[in-house]
Amino acid sequence: MSATSTPAVAGVPLDVVKRSPNSMTLSMGPQHPSTHGVLQVLVEVAGETIERAEMEIGYLHTGIEKSAENLFWTQAATVIERMDYLSPPSNALCYVLAVEQLLGLTDRIPERAKQIRILMCELSRIASHCVWLGTHGIDLGAITTFFYAFDVREDVLDLLEASGGARMHPNYLRIGGTNGDLPEGFLGKLDVLIEKFPGRMRDLRLLLQNNPIWRDRTIDIGILSPQDCIEWGLTGPILRASGIQYDVRKAFPYCGYETYDFDVPTRTEGDAYARFLVRLDEMDEAMHIVRQVRKRLDTPGAVMVDDPKVAAPAKETIALSMEALIHHFKIVSESFRVPPGDVYQPVEGPRGEIAYYLVSNGDNRPYRVRTRPPSMYNLQALKKMAVGGLIADMVVMIGSLDPVFGEVDR
Amino acid sequence: MPSSQTPSLAGTASDPTSLRPPIADAQIERIDPTQLRERLIALKAAGMTVLLDIGAVDYPERIPRFDVVYHLLALPAKIASVAEVGAPRRVRLLVGVTADATVVPSVTDLWPCADWAEREVFDLFGIRFDGHPDLRRIQMPDDWVGHPLRKDYPLRGPAREKTPRPSFPLKSNVGAGTPPGGKVAAALQAQIARAQKPEEPA
Repeated sequence: MSATSTPAVAGVPLDVVKRSPNSMTLSMGPQHPSTHGVLQVLVEVAGETIERAEMEIGYLHTGIEKSAENLFWTQAATVIERMDYLSPPSNALCYVLAVEQLLGLTDRIPERAKQIRILMCELSRIASHCVWLGTHGIDLGAITTFFYAFDVREDVLDLLEASGGARMHPNYLRIGGTNGDLPEGFLGKLDVLIEKFPGRMRDLRLLLQNNPIWRDRTIDIGILSPQDCIEWGLTGPILRASGIQYDVRKAFPYCGYETYDFDVPTRTEGDAYARFLVRLDEMDEAMHIVRQVRKRLDTPGAVMVDDPKVAAPAKETIALSMEALIHHFKIVSESFRVPPGDVYQPVEGPRGEIAYYLVSNGDNRPYRVRTRPPSMYNLQALKKMAVGGLIADMVVMIGSLDPVFGEVDR
Repeated sequence: MPSSQTPSLAGTASDPTSLRPPIADAQIERIDPTQLRERLIALKAAGMTVLLDIGAVDYPERIPRFDVVYHLLALPAKIASVAEVGAPRRVRLLVGVTADATVVPSVTDLWPCADWAEREVFDLFGIRFDGHPDLRRIQMPDDWVGHPLRKDYPLRGPAREKTPRPSFPLKSNVGAGTPPGGKVAAALQAQIARAQKPEEPA
């Protein structure tokens, strides 16, 4: 009687024996608007209660790791920014810090370059949380939030565009420093954003924080205990919303974060509302760091390490200096060689611990680029979080995890 | 149990991990797959509670060919202050896997988050995890052939390598997929037609 078994849905063998008599299987996605990308969730429901959730990912797999292993060290940073496309500087920073460790340059990076890097990462953390807040709001029917949040995000993207020339993937952080100093007028624009930001945050909080519908939809939804978080390898705001105050910026300081004053917002409830509050507080903390960076940026300085083998010479010098021309030609045509070894470099991205495990075999291309994608581990916890919840809360749970599928699938 | 693989690892140029300078804040160990579970259980009991990542690296010229890399982090399972996490520790376990027995014991029962990580290593490297409840491909389609992150897997995929290539030198952009025009296109099309035509019996 082999015909009695249920055919597998999209390759997922559903265990018919364990199902309760009244359950049915719903397929949500991969084209569902609330999945924030292409995610298929196969939900087994008994009535409206979720008994089991299985996910199908990989729809956005583009082989970024394989591509990066076939590019020069300098070129690989470009594809790496495409992983977490909501906060490209965080990925780029993680990669360049890892390469700098292999090159032994970590202690020689100029202060101003470090400040600009932190500025870019914190600004993109704000922008990334704005996208999360806007789309999470739309999922729950609060469309006004989207416009307020995206207004702030546009200001940040304008600054990213001014820095590197592109709105989304500026490729501004380079191995050894940044691609040139901040352009003229940048700091003025930044001051405008710093001025405007607290008012915008007040608007966002007024819209949602005490909104009875928002509270009804998010409080006690998708609860994760601290123990669950540890077992499922969660990091970032989700971990901190469950009461564990772990932040890579504090625990393993990098790029000069130890010289800034900031708090790590933590809540203990572990539900979707706690994650909402933690992310809002993080936006305030990020702006607090941006203000401190802004003060330091008044002091001019070099933005690239003083090592002609790694740092491409300034464009003006190429016409005047033979050595500059040679170095420029060598870096552009064949990059540089990185001493053999392996390194694991974590940074705190908007979604948690982004890390790169890089292996170099002494060549001018990375031998292995392994990403630790925070979104993938966070999303996986939906299997635990969804059980016992209502099918109507599924979009709240997915939204509160804030997955980015460029990073989940790579 | 002394492993027969250990001698070939030390200091060879094909193994970059042996040339790494010491790193301050992480403990790095190289162990055999047979001791993996035992070691991980011991580390978990000693406070390394978070399994951050499982990755793999392919060294085709080395014995053992693959490294499966486990990253662990010590984190207290209670409300901690930043000061308490202050002296965090990381452990990196490198597990050598030979090409003829690409099997590693699964740790999904110790850490549920190992589920997708192990599936990804299986999918992209073809390393099997013994005891995994649902070892299927995760990133590539279910009917895919081959394991893309292996070093001997062609960058453009197996199907693309079979595309007829012109035997005469062309401008580089033609080979890269830009539609050619004029005489070049005619020559290319003639060659493709010749390649696709079944062999006629003499």
